[in-house]
Amino acid sequence: MAADMMRNYPVSPLANRRGLKGGQSRIGLLLLLPAAVAFTAVILYPFAKALGLSLFEYTIEMNAPRFIGVSNFAKIAASPDVWAAFATTAIYVLCATAGTLVLGLAWALLMNQPFRGRVALRSLSLLPWVLPSTVSAFVWAWIFNSRYGVLNAFLMEVGLIDMPQAWLSTPQGAMLAVILTKIWLSIPLFMSFFLAGLQSLDKEQIDAARVDGAGNWPVLRDHILPHLRPVLIIVVVLGVIGNLQQFDTIYALTQGGPVRATTVLSVEVYKRAFEQWDIGFASAIGVLWVATLMPPAFFYLRMLVKGN
Amino acid sequence: MFDLSSRQAKTIFCVALAFIGFFLFFPIYWLVISSIKGNTELYRAVPTPVPLAPTLEHFVKALTAGKLPMYLGNSLIVSGASACLVTILALYAGYSFAKYRYAGRQPVMLFMLSAQMFPFGLLLISLYPMMSNLGLLDTRLGLILSYIVFAMPVSTYMLYSYFSQVPDELIDAARADGASDLRIFHTIVLPISVPPVVTVFLYSFMWSWNDLLYSMTLIVSDDKRTIGPGLLLTYLNEVNSDWGGAMAASLLASAPIVIAFMFLQRYFIQGVTAGAIK
Repeated sequence: MAADMMRNYPVSPLANRRGLKGGQSRIGLLLLLPAAVAFTAVILYPFAKALGLSLFEYTIEMNAPRFIGVSNFAKIAASPDVWAAFATTAIYVLCATAGTLVLGLAWALLMNQPFRGRVALRSLSLLPWVLPSTVSAFVWAWIFNSRYGVLNAFLMEVGLIDMPQAWLSTPQGAMLAVILTKIWLSIPLFMSFFLAGLQSLDKEQIDAARVDGAGNWPVLRDHILPHLRPVLIIVVVLGVIGNLQQFDTIYALTQGGPVRATTVLSVEVYKRAFEQWDIGFASAIGVLWVATLMPPAFFYLRMLVKGN
Repeated sequence: MFDLSSRQAKTIFCVALAFIGFFLFFPIYWLVISSIKGNTELYRAVPTPVPLAPTLEHFVKALTAGKLPMYLGNSLIVSGASACLVTILALYAGYSFAKYRYAGRQPVMLFMLSAQMFPFGLLLISLYPMMSNLGLLDTRLGLILSYIVFAMPVSTYMLYSYFSQVPDELIDAARADGASDLRIFHTIVLPISVPPVVTVFLYSFMWSWNDLLYSMTLIVSDDKRTIGPGLLLTYLNEVNSDWGGAMAASLLASAPIVIAFMFLQRYFIQGVTAGAIK
């Protein structure tokens, strides 16, 4: 189709006079070309290939993949481990997104209030977000450390526990650690979105409500939260997508363990593909993983289109 | 926004500020504090809240004894190169989407953006054999090319939203003077686009600097290893528990990205939240 257009408008890129739309669009396509090539080579092609591999048996002992139809999916359906990974992912995504949402929104509202040192505090609170994922994992692993960790020391000091807990060695403790780490490092991003949304809030409307005698809670409920609704939706969608994809901090903290307690889909696919080298099966899990990402992704794109 | 003149409101405000602030800042404080504690002070059942005898021994050791400088250098090369590559690709593509009209423009752009939601781990499954076939496995070039995956879609969109705001009149005026499209882009549009370009560069730099998964998988030999897996392999294993060293190395690994970010955070936030907020 692009070639057709070029044939219909045989103009040189230098002959740019108004109205020569064909030449214009040809330059536009030319500018797009490098990115399109890169996109196809490292994103689109690998993606399509991985989807295709889900229909093959392909392990480390094999020279070439062997077509087996939907057998991989049948194997998944019969695998309690994979089902457990889905359940773990659901818990992780739900808790991490909800936690970040509440704390991120609260922090944005606090940072929107004028007080001394606010600007500095706001800048500093972006730090968790820019730290390398391995570093975030180190910090939290050290806090949760069973022998010298500050968390155990603190909880024993206030009398909540009698004995040091091996947090990262128990299923619940490890889950708590990976969720807290993710909430911690996502609060800055959520806060930034909410602060950007708060900037367009109509101050006069709030002042008017105040004159009518509205307190803080009614102002929040009737004016601020409704105003933030579109941002809220975006943030939830982006948060869910990001949490569904999260790998680095979980792997660095627990490697998906103890046993399989924190093995979310990303870790499951990684382990199947690069530890057991069962490529076909890993791809099949990946396909289902993509399927879970589709609804929020579709929702997000639709909003972007409407926004434009 | 809120009226804090009443005592109750003030109390709630302060409690919330203290609570969330503690959650956000305590880990960073603890990271810094632990990196300057000596080993005897570090390994106590009841930790000291403020270091009694601050020391830089962990930093000295990390910089001289280990392979940290090499990992940092590798990360700098790989992240710098991939950020340059992504920025250049995204510049032309974003400008093309914003200022040219051709069939399929919007669907193509949205499709590219939606690629941000393809699971990176899934892409890696076929990137790995691809790199292996091309002889790029365990090379810096292979890793640089793979890092396009992370940041290119959003970078393109960020630059697209910026270029959409550049007035058409500016371009039309130059065009009327007979300047070619590429010349207009390079001499008129680019010079006024420094902040978004820097933002996109930093954004993609951050993605590759902070990556663990791709580097851990695509790089095998130690001399090409980047900082993410380098830290993990050096400090986090069952036998070795050098927490002071881990904290010092963490700070050194975070320093470049944190410093860059401090100077550019305003542009950065605007860029990242662009498109989501009307």
